[in-house]
Amino acid sequence: MNLPIYKFIDLTSGEIRDYPISRTLFERYLGGKILAGKLLMDLQPEGLPRFHPDNALIINTGPAGGTGAPSSGRFNMTFKNVLTGGIASSNCGGTFGVSLKAAGIDGLIITGKAKKLSYIEILDGGVSIKDASAYAGMDTEEIQSRFDKHWGKLVIGPAGESLVWYACAISGERVAGRCGAGAVMGSKNLKALTAYGTKRPEIYDPDGFTAYVRKWTAFLKNHPMTGSALPTYGTAGLVSSANASGALPTRNFKEGRFEKSRDISGESLADKRLTRNGGCVSCPIRCERRVKLNGREIKGPEYETVGLFGSNLGSGDMDRIIEINYYADIWGMDTITLAGTIAFALELQEKGMADFGLDIGGKEAIIEVLRKVGRREGIFTELANGTKWLSEKYGGKDFAIHSKGLELASYEPRQSVGMGLGYATSNRGGCHLNGGYLALIESVGVVSVDRRHPSSKAELTIMFQNMMESVSGAGFCLFTAQAVIPAIFFKLGPNHAVTRAVNKILGSAGFALRPIWWLLPGLLPFNTMFLLPHAEVVKLITGMPMTSGKLIQIGERGYNTERLFNLREGLTGADDSLPARLTNTSQENDPEGKPVPLSRMLPLYYKVRGWDSEGRPTPKKLKQLRIESGAGV
Amino acid sequence: MAFLITESCTGCTLCARNCPVKAISGELKKLHAINPARCVNCGVCGRVCPSSAVLDNIGKTVVKVSKTEWEKPVIDKSLCGACSICVNACGKDSLSISMPAFRGDINVFALLSNEKSCVGCGICAKVCPLKAIVMRKEGAS
Repeated sequence: MNLPIYKFIDLTSGEIRDYPISRTLFERYLGGKILAGKLLMDLQPEGLPRFHPDNALIINTGPAGGTGAPSSGRFNMTFKNVLTGGIASSNCGGTFGVSLKAAGIDGLIITGKAKKLSYIEILDGGVSIKDASAYAGMDTEEIQSRFDKHWGKLVIGPAGESLVWYACAISGERVAGRCGAGAVMGSKNLKALTAYGTKRPEIYDPDGFTAYVRKWTAFLKNHPMTGSALPTYGTAGLVSSANASGALPTRNFKEGRFEKSRDISGESLADKRLTRNGGCVSCPIRCERRVKLNGREIKGPEYETVGLFGSNLGSGDMDRIIEINYYADIWGMDTITLAGTIAFALELQEKGMADFGLDIGGKEAIIEVLRKVGRREGIFTELANGTKWLSEKYGGKDFAIHSKGLELASYEPRQSVGMGLGYATSNRGGCHLNGGYLALIESVGVVSVDRRHPSSKAELTIMFQNMMESVSGAGFCLFTAQAVIPAIFFKLGPNHAVTRAVNKILGSAGFALRPIWWLLPGLLPFNTMFLLPHAEVVKLITGMPMTSGKLIQIGERGYNTERLFNLREGLTGADDSLPARLTNTSQENDPEGKPVPLSRMLPLYYKVRGWDSEGRPTPKKLKQLRIESGAGV
Repeated sequence: MAFLITESCTGCTLCARNCPVKAISGELKKLHAINPARCVNCGVCGRVCPSSAVLDNIGKTVVKVSKTEWEKPVIDKSLCGACSICVNACGKDSLSISMPAFRGDINVFALLSNEKSCVGCGICAKVCPLKAIVMRKEGAS
């Protein structure tokens, strides 16, 4: 078994050395965000403030990265979350990860702060720190054009240099968006990383790998979600279903249905603006939208951007959203947090609690807002600190839509209460993906477990959180896991008696799921295409005896490790929360609806997770998961 | 072992210009060198060298081959998943993903869109996880 190769880079001293990953560490934590979480726990000094030079930034891949397995061209960035103070992991489908792997490196651990603006150049396994003064202030498109077109690039824009708390990092046109990855790079005077090499990741069983990947690719291509819905309508295809179930955040999460949802739907995007679909390297799903802007083909917006810059700001102008998405990317800001912050600032203004002179009426006006926030100009520097900071200064915590400091994604939790539990418990804050993405089986998918009822939601949330953690840690895109919903339901439709019966069964089967976490990995000692084909691919790549049960337990180990990091950095069970608008009031357009019953779900969630009543993993759980403190284990 | 350029090199730069991974450096009319850490043993340098100055990874001189005789990628559309790993790996920008045949067409695939720039290095065939690409001489079955 080949162990992953990690490089340790100290930007302060310029020291670059190998960082050995032991076999035990690899077998227990695999890679991606899971291994990175463990490394952050070991290497990040406790309690440092945001932007401290000694903060660690880990950029890594999973074992599948660069092998060509379906949707495995991804890389992960893990660091202390700029917005929450807990852990952050940001995943990206840009070419940097594949290029890093081709250069013969699996991960980078970056610490310190360069004396002047710099970039890290990785060529054929060699790492060097170079002067980036000439690139100061450049947008993400321009700086990438300055490097060889065949190199993988990871860069920040002006927002990252200005330390906007939610600045993102960009690779090609793909984004490591959430939690302030770009700001952390900016705080280290790190403008960019480039990578190039020609090495091929070694595969333990090449023939078995090819045969299985062929089968899996065919499976994904034939699945209604990954083979049809996602490539045809992209993630924006969810707008219509979210709106139909009242889960499309509208006007800062006051409502869940938007009167102009049709104008911002994935169908409208596909009909009127799409030139073709695109995709990340090695992904057969190809959900990316390619659209025309001013005669030029660019990347189209994802569902989150459409929902939060569309309905959540009361706008039905798709062209405007496309343009906003473009400028947010080239200036380097996370569209979810940016839109959430603008929505909150607007409501503060409406209520007379603050005055930012914020006007987002016309297209030019909102682009100008973005420009000023991205450069921290004038009063707009306050918007660059996110919703939580604004609510602490101006009040309005009840309608400050974030959890732990990270703004919620575009799924309204009152029509997706399991998603609400996920947002509240997510290790990186109000994130739908780290939160378990229960919205997929509550409010936007073909299977729909009672979206307003808490029954079984704790158990299902834990299952999805752990599974998604394992898929990400292994190096795959989470969208490959959407094929876990059997194709037959898409054929039957959401209203068929069988689908409804399954909804009911899932909604009351929670108790049956509770023992799972004490019975793994033995409970699932096999691999199947219908659950976690990822496990079989990891086995074929590494030679590790991997089963679905083992992989899910690695996910659980990762989730608990991240939780331990949060607790160490001062977050507590009290931070597993949602704003009062969501937990105390119903939606404005749904007077009969109910708030998120978070206090009913949370105690059960803790119990099933094996955590105490304060949300701390118990010694018994840590022992079962073999989570030990200290580097190398 | 990587390929090697011998003293017979006249510094014509043909190999450096054709190398798909930019592994060859050298100035005009001066001895060129191959970066062994990057060389993928594709043999393109030897196939274009007019001075037979390139030795392969087992020390054998690589014979010059006329461009019309070079192998080219042949893509099995029924197998191709349009994952674009070959497009990304191609150092000569010879490959691309096909455009949709009609609005909403999602059945796209990789294709050799710039045959002229292709040097027949075979990197695309090596990286394809589905083995949907084979290298073949034009006219060969």
